[in-house]
Amino acid sequence: MVVMQASRFERMLLTGARCIADGQVLFVGFHWPMLMVRVARRLHAPNLVVLYENGIVEDHLTRVLPTSPCDLVAAEGAPMCAGSLESLYMWLGAGRVDMTLLEAPIVDRYGNVNTSVVGEYGRPKVRLPGSGGGTELASLGRGLMLVSASTNPRSYPGRVDYITSPGYLGGGGDRQRLGYKPGTGPQCLVNPLGLFRFDAGGEMYAASLHPGVTLDEVRASFGWPIRVGEAVGLLPEPTRDELAAVREELRLARERAYLLPEA
Amino acid sequence: MSIGGKPVLSLREAVGRYVPDGQEVMIGGFAFSDPTAFAHEVIRQGRRGLTVIKTSGGVLVDQLVGAGCVDRLLSCHVWNSVGPVPAHCFRRAVERGRPNAIAVEEMSYGALSMALLAGACDLPFMPTTPVQGAGHFTQRTFRPDKMAVVASPFGGQPVTVVSPLKPALGVFHVHRVDRFGNAQMLGPTGEMRFAMAACRRLLVVAEELVDTRVIRERPELTAAPGFMVEAIVVEPWAAHPSDSYGYYYRDLAHHALYGEMSATEEGFRRYLEEWVFAAGDHAGFVRKLGDARARDLMARSEPWW
Repeated sequence: MVVMQASRFERMLLTGARCIADGQVLFVGFHWPMLMVRVARRLHAPNLVVLYENGIVEDHLTRVLPTSPCDLVAAEGAPMCAGSLESLYMWLGAGRVDMTLLEAPIVDRYGNVNTSVVGEYGRPKVRLPGSGGGTELASLGRGLMLVSASTNPRSYPGRVDYITSPGYLGGGGDRQRLGYKPGTGPQCLVNPLGLFRFDAGGEMYAASLHPGVTLDEVRASFGWPIRVGEAVGLLPEPTRDELAAVREELRLARERAYLLPEA
Repeated sequence: MSIGGKPVLSLREAVGRYVPDGQEVMIGGFAFSDPTAFAHEVIRQGRRGLTVIKTSGGVLVDQLVGAGCVDRLLSCHVWNSVGPVPAHCFRRAVERGRPNAIAVEEMSYGALSMALLAGACDLPFMPTTPVQGAGHFTQRTFRPDKMAVVASPFGGQPVTVVSPLKPALGVFHVHRVDRFGNAQMLGPTGEMRFAMAACRRLLVVAEELVDTRVIRERPELTAAPGFMVEAIVVEPWAAHPSDSYGYYYRDLAHHALYGEMSATEEGFRRYLEEWVFAAGDHAGFVRKLGDARARDLMARSEPWW
């Protein structure tokens, strides 16, 4: 059997999954992060506890792939179904979470995420859904990983038009000054190009790239002159098993009406 | 408040009696237990100028906005989570004022949960976690006093606080209710337990009316005790196309159908004509959905008790 080369989107899902360690407690937002967790569960991390903002505790790979945390196939066999005070405050806010996964379709130099409006607030060019619990995931979540399937520079402006989920705000000590707890704030961003991290001043830089991604491509994908780490790493090629796990999840996602990227 | 039997109303009666033009109403559900049947009846009766409070807007709020029922909306987000695809009517209203411009006030889910908790407990405010720097802290539309930052009386960092929210009317989907109004929810409850308590008047839309002995066998499932409930509506499949835990699952195909049809104003009008107006009432909607589809979505065929 010929194994097709992994697409960059598939590599993104796998890179995110590899960041998850077995035994962790995760707080997971909707969309690609949910697929990353399922891939991790199939591969190297069967013992994860996943918490959703609606109060569901999900401690196993569910039989049916949920389209979002509120698709209640996510609650099948759940050890607990609680509510938002438990999930957002008693679990996430109280620091009982090792890692937090949040989709970041528009994210800026300092890891601020916009899921609300493009353009002026009162007369937006594009109105997006808004926060949901995304604000809390970014303001309270430990070990925050951002995920974006885009490589379009419009998805990576120097400053977002609207901060839905606060990253390092204007950089420097902004976050700390406004009372956000230590240990919160984005730790990394995973996208089809690779893995990006944040420096001590809260600015994003390229840390490790997927095979075949050039530095020129990286620079062209960001709306500011992004720094490339001095020793930018190369992420490993997926193994056959890893790629099979990703493709199985994508097959299930397609069956569950997920809109998937072409490539 | 009383412990006697509560009036059991049809949706038509409930909307007619409790939801005049301009009513402020909190609608329950967090992308599950969304009482879509209630929204459809509001649309059938042509209500205008509503102030709608709903944590997760979803397809339900999109339809109310598209039908021109809403002037003001307090919400955490509005979208169609299957796909996902945009909430097209919400976008048209905000981007182009079609069919009418709406005022949108936003809070994150955590902050809105705390505002409802403050309302439920009749406290002057509740502390919440930091949100300064976020757009919805700065941007104030029709609740200018929704949040503030105060010094902590106990030292340490400044504290973000939210003002109490006490919706004039609440309409919440529940799973089962007895004739006294004791209303039970199964599965995850999101903000529903305290959001129901925050509302000044409360209607529940239940999947089924059960003998009070069924309620009393599992009293911990009661999310709103009868003394807080003013009237009952019994409407099977009221939360379709969202989930009703233990009753039926999310209808992905219907979400997708709605997403496609609502992409244009003309298509949205056709959706309303076919699924809301021509159906006549929610029983008509369920008949149109069809037995085969309903069986596919059902979580179980036997009752809980």
